[in-house]
Amino acid sequence: MNRRQTRLFAIGSTALATIVFVGLTIDSHRQFPELTNADTITPAVTRGKDVWHEYNCINCHTLFGEGAYYAPDLTKIAQHRGEPYLTAFLKDPSQFYDEQRHRRLMPNQDLDDEEIASLIAFFEWVANVDNQGWPPRPILVAGSSIPGTSMTLAQQDASGPGSTDETLPPGSRPVSEEDDPVALGDALFNSATPTCSACHSIAPGVNLAGPSLAGIASRAEQIIGSEEYQGDADSVEAYIRESIVAPSAYLFPGEMYSANGTSFMPTTYAESLTSEQVDQLVAYLSTFK
Amino acid sequence: MRYKSQSVAYWYFAVAMALFGLQLVFGLLSAAKYLGPDPLLYILPFDVTKVIHTNLLIVWVLTGFMGATYWMVPDESRTELYSTRLAYIQLGLWTAMGVTAIIGYLFRYGTGNKLLEQPLPHKIVIVICMLIFLYNIGMTIKKSGRFTTTEGVLLLGLASAAVLYIPALLHYENYTVSIYYRWWTIHLWVEGVWEMIQGGFLAYLLIRLSGADREVMDKWLYVIVGLVFIAGILGTAHHYYWVGVPSYWLPIGGFFSALEPVALVGMAMYAYYAMRRSGLAHPNNLALHWTIGSAVFTLFGAGLLGFAHTFPSVNKWTHGTLITAMHGHAAFYGAYAMIIMAMITYALPSLTRGRSEDSNSLGYWAFWLQLAGMFGMTLSFATAGIGQVYLERILGLGYLDTQLKIQIHFLMLVATGSIFAVGVGLFIYDFFRLPPRLSVDRDDPALSTQAVR
Ligand code: HEC
Ligand code: HEC
Ligand code: HEM
Ligand code: HEM
Ligand SMILES: [Fe+2]
Repeated sequence: MNRRQTRLFAIGSTALATIVFVGLTIDSHRQFPELTNADTITPAVTRGKDVWHEYNCINCHTLFGEGAYYAPDLTKIAQHRGEPYLTAFLKDPSQFYDEQRHRRLMPNQDLDDEEIASLIAFFEWVANVDNQGWPPRPILVAGSSIPGTSMTLAQQDASGPGSTDETLPPGSRPVSEEDDPVALGDALFNSATPTCSACHSIAPGVNLAGPSLAGIASRAEQIIGSEEYQGDADSVEAYIRESIVAPSAYLFPGEMYSANGTSFMPTTYAESLTSEQVDQLVAYLSTFK
Repeated sequence: MRYKSQSVAYWYFAVAMALFGLQLVFGLLSAAKYLGPDPLLYILPFDVTKVIHTNLLIVWVLTGFMGATYWMVPDESRTELYSTRLAYIQLGLWTAMGVTAIIGYLFRYGTGNKLLEQPLPHKIVIVICMLIFLYNIGMTIKKSGRFTTTEGVLLLGLASAAVLYIPALLHYENYTVSIYYRWWTIHLWVEGVWEMIQGGFLAYLLIRLSGADREVMDKWLYVIVGLVFIAGILGTAHHYYWVGVPSYWLPIGGFFSALEPVALVGMAMYAYYAMRRSGLAHPNNLALHWTIGSAVFTLFGAGLLGFAHTFPSVNKWTHGTLITAMHGHAAFYGAYAMIIMAMITYALPSLTRGRSEDSNSLGYWAFWLQLAGMFGMTLSFATAGIGQVYLERILGLGYLDTQLKIQIHFLMLVATGSIFAVGVGLFIYDFFRLPPRLSVDRDDPALSTQAVR
């Protein structure tokens, strides 16, 4: 090739690639409204996006997998955590995580109520964007979707009422009486004997020995309104409480979960947990909308 | 130094080196925070140290590009710069922009958009500086009437870099659309027009250092530019997989970005052949180390490590993990940090007094410590990233629990990062060790080395 030909190659290939790229960009714009549910971008969502930028969240977190790697991805956070939990967390992260234990902590951002509500609306919108199903498996902030991996056997044995900080699994934070009931319930979920997290994940679609408890609050509402339901519960909270203390009152469909009208979930919790502890678990689980 | 006005390059390089040093301070701080707990949580949290780290990088690399261009264009066009005054005004404005932006970040004054955090007033100053710069260079070439291919590629790269910054100035209501256009700046910079800039400097250095034939170099350069763009433009799609765009971007991104390393192989090959077939042994052997080093490390950091996670089926698992940081460091360092250090090392004997062309051992220590340190950092990010992908993404262990299990790799990161920082420290010391030379005088070693085409 001589010089002119090589130059022609440089110009030609650049021009060709540019034309195709611009064409596809135009077509993408045609599809953006549908893929991103543009009609649901309310003023609150836009405001939430601005708050997200204003507080530089992107330089610790990733969103759609883009950002920094110091803190968990938040693309689907609105599907994992309900509004009450996120509100409580964003008001004071140290209520939910312990810096000594996790070696990092989200600094309190001093967000006001309006900012928090907008952020949550923004996360809702993000979680529903059609992004080819990424992430392929739920990304959890803490804990585990595999039974047992978040604690050693010794820890499982030593947990429950009366356990000390040292025996808690790494995914949970030492709590004290003054803490938010939701945070207490979160800790208990990982430390009751036998631990709930051994059978239940809080990630959507990850069913272990027991069904995933993601979205349990919305599901409870549907169940108590349905014909099959024979139990006594008349509210979401009452339903969850009943599921813990009397597992067989309603059976979650599926052969792997029950047989002959009896649930596989332990019936010991009515005895081993105090009534307050059950309340805390209920408070925690009912945040999963 | 053949032309007096080339000495403006010294001040650009000086600013670049100072900011480079500062960048590492914030890099090491960020890495220490991975280890935690963080005593500075409410004074200097991670998001602040990280945004300063990456922004200093962008600012010093661009400063280096501009300095190197002010050095190279008089040489290529055989003339004094159109206006040194403009060049100094531009440097002042630019440095003030950079410094105030950094101070602003300490107070979280920024746009919170990854790598484009510069507030709007700063972005406007950036554009103004670029315009002054392009005008000054353009007029220099016009005045001389001599316009080489190397210069042409370099200038077109710089001008396109300015043009591609425009999408970053606009506001988007839809977060997905804003991501879409963020990559027009970031990706098309590092995998498009900046590679033209790198290619331009590389050709210049190879012609000067090894006496490579200009005719041959020009042809190579055109072919490389063609390859960069045929793959790189549509390769942008490797950032579009999971952000809410149509699904046809997946195969397009996989195919074209997988072709991107071809241009980098080409670049490494031409550096190697130029060296082998050189008709001239320039005494500045250290500059040749940096030049060839840049071409080879780019092939490793960008070509190999970029390729490693560019297919959608792999990227699905690695996206947004420390694997990205592994690649980002090796690629940026090889392609852009090293090419600037090559230009500096080449120009320095003429820009400072009392420095001989034969490289000193300090310079070699700086080179090898940096290389070893950066290689170690790349390995640390890689091992941490692989652990993260398997534990968090594939097995489903929580993010925080996973980070606890990969602490050892963060220790390694801090250790190798420190080795790297020592190498950079030596380079900076070597740079400032001798006073600048501000005029063309007879003891300038460049004047005694053989004139080149
Ligand atoms: C200095 C880094 C940093 C910044 C800035 C930051 N975060 Fe976090 N964030 C974290 C870390 C670390 C965690 C993991 C939980 C913990 O250790 O506190 C976290 C966790 C979260 C969670 C998940 C909590 C859960 O249990 O599910 C949400 C939601 C969140 N952050 C939102 C935000 C928002 C919104 C912003 C910006 C207003 C923000 N973060 C800014 C570091 C940060
Ligand atoms: C040995 C495994 C096991 C353990 C431990 C366990 N569960 Fe269950 N759980 C199940 C199974 C199986 C079901 C489904 C059958 C049924 O409806 O009872 C279930 C159902 C539930 C439901 C109702 C789900 C729904 O969608 O209707 C709730 C709520 C629940 N568990 C909470 C808990 C809590 C809280 C703990 C810890 C205190 C716990 N579980 C411990 C196995 C377990
Ligand atoms: C002492 C040496 C260095 C250390 C310890 C260091 C450490 C870090 C850390 C901890 C991050 C944050 C990653 C995250 O988001 O979690 C980072 C980001 C980054 N650094 Fe460095 N760094 C160093 C030197 C460099 C150099 C020399 C370059 C370029 C030439 C560089 C380029 C980058 C880039 C491009 C990013 C953003 C990466 C991404 O978001 O994927 N760093 N660095
Ligand atoms: C000189 C060249 C290059 C530089 C400086 C560079 C730098 C970077 C940086 C800084 C990022 C992180 C960007 C962000 O998240 O904001 C990145 C991401 C990426 N790069 Fe490169 N890169 C180069 C070349 C390449 C090449 C040639 C390939 C492919 C063959 C490639 C593939 C990728 C991929 C797939 C990602 C996305 C990672 C993710 O999913 O998070 N890069 N690059
Ligand atoms: Fe890219």
